[in-house]
Amino acid sequence: MGSRAHDGRGARRAWMDLLTRAPLLRRAPLVALGITALFAGLWGGLLRLGLSVPGAQTDLAELHGPLMTLGFLGTLIGLERAVALGRPWGFAAPLASGVGTLAAAAGAPGGFGPALLTFAAAVLVAEHLVIDRMQRTAHNIVMGLGAVAWLAAALLWLTGADTSRFVPLLAGFLVLTIVGERLELSRLRGLGGGRRTALLAAIALLVGGLALSIPAEDAGMRLAGVGLLTQAAWLTRYDIARRTVHGRGVTRFMALALLAGYAWLGVAGVLWLLHGTSADGYLYDAQLHALFLGFVMSMVFAHAPVIVPAVLRVRLPFRPRFYVHLALLHASLVVRILGGDLADNVHLWQWGGVAGEVAILLFLAATGAAVVAARRRSEQPDRGARTAGLV
Amino acid sequence: MDPTQLLTTPLSTGLVYELLLDVIDPELGVNIVDLGLVYEVQIDGRDVEVVMTLTTQGCPLGGFIEDEIVDCLAQSPQIGRVKVTLVWEPPWDPERMTDAARDELGWIS
Repeated sequence: MGSRAHDGRGARRAWMDLLTRAPLLRRAPLVALGITALFAGLWGGLLRLGLSVPGAQTDLAELHGPLMTLGFLGTLIGLERAVALGRPWGFAAPLASGVGTLAAAAGAPGGFGPALLTFAAAVLVAEHLVIDRMQRTAHNIVMGLGAVAWLAAALLWLTGADTSRFVPLLAGFLVLTIVGERLELSRLRGLGGGRRTALLAAIALLVGGLALSIPAEDAGMRLAGVGLLTQAAWLTRYDIARRTVHGRGVTRFMALALLAGYAWLGVAGVLWLLHGTSADGYLYDAQLHALFLGFVMSMVFAHAPVIVPAVLRVRLPFRPRFYVHLALLHASLVVRILGGDLADNVHLWQWGGVAGEVAILLFLAATGAAVVAARRRSEQPDRGARTAGLV
Repeated sequence: MDPTQLLTTPLSTGLVYELLLDVIDPELGVNIVDLGLVYEVQIDGRDVEVVMTLTTQGCPLGGFIEDEIVDCLAQSPQIGRVKVTLVWEPPWDPERMTDAARDELGWIS
């Protein structure tokens, strides 16, 4: 510490310096908000599984969906977008979504939570508009439509709609965000003309279904299901993961997680198409978790080795043990959906549900441990310069 | 590059490009040079500036790639300070990829 730290103004300046220079310090609180929402959402998940854990008198079970999709994933996606755009106001989105969902979970009065989530979505939409003005691309428009789906979901929530009413829109937010990115990467395989149009048509079916789900939920979900199914088929056939799965290290890990996710996206598409707004609790569980856990969470696991370093500016070296949480996630879904939901077996449904939560906790632990270990190694002076290469 | 060679090769844009072959996009398994992301390398004494782009403006990986480039070039004792400048003009285009990158990623059309 320099001598400046000994007087008050110097100390403040030193802190400001640190905050401006160290992305980890500025962004970690936002990540912590998202992870807190994740923990609350996981607890709500245990309540929804009918397990006798404390908290039955709270709204956590009802808020499980918004906590996981907007509180956790919405906050992280908002943070990722703000980092990409590099405009300070962009960070208002993850701040508002994290605080908004936690406020709702804490029982904040009126529409305080949903209002903050509406604001967060509006900021995200504005960010995509700014990107569009800089460089108009189809993939940015698709991702922007995802932000619009979040905005529509938050507005429905604000007007007092039940979570089940806007769940398709929450799914739309995440799917469009992810598929927009896959559309962008399709350029690296030279996919143009008819093949690219086919994916855009599948996306249009999903968007049409989401819009229809607002006035006519059942028909909208079925149409969106066709969109999900065709996107899954396209991604399985043409996505870059089909090539990179032959790579090694983190490249192969990411590709396997992506391809496994596409399989669950297809399962979700079939379930949405065949059952629409199912009154059957088990089918409803399968429709949502094939998509949110099988597809979306697998994407999160896949991209963490890249996104965590990008957002927090820390190193996250790939570890083969990452396959443990990935394998557990997908195994848990086989047990939950095939063994539990579709076979009406409550025990397998619960076991699969709990195992899915354990997979997420293992993912957090493995990621955190890898980051800490990398920091320790880089702080050892005798190790010299860090080696290059990401794989 | 062989470590002995690394110590003895004089600093040049060629050396920097060769070192940057070690900076690999983790999802693609292809280095940033073959992806056509590096537009220019400038050398001023021992200091190096890498002018590069990303495949799209909405990509959050800028800081990550910057860190990787700095770490990578730090291997070379001939190099002093490293600056990475992200530019968006001209926009990246798949045509900038080398044949090696296209083969690796299974170029279709």
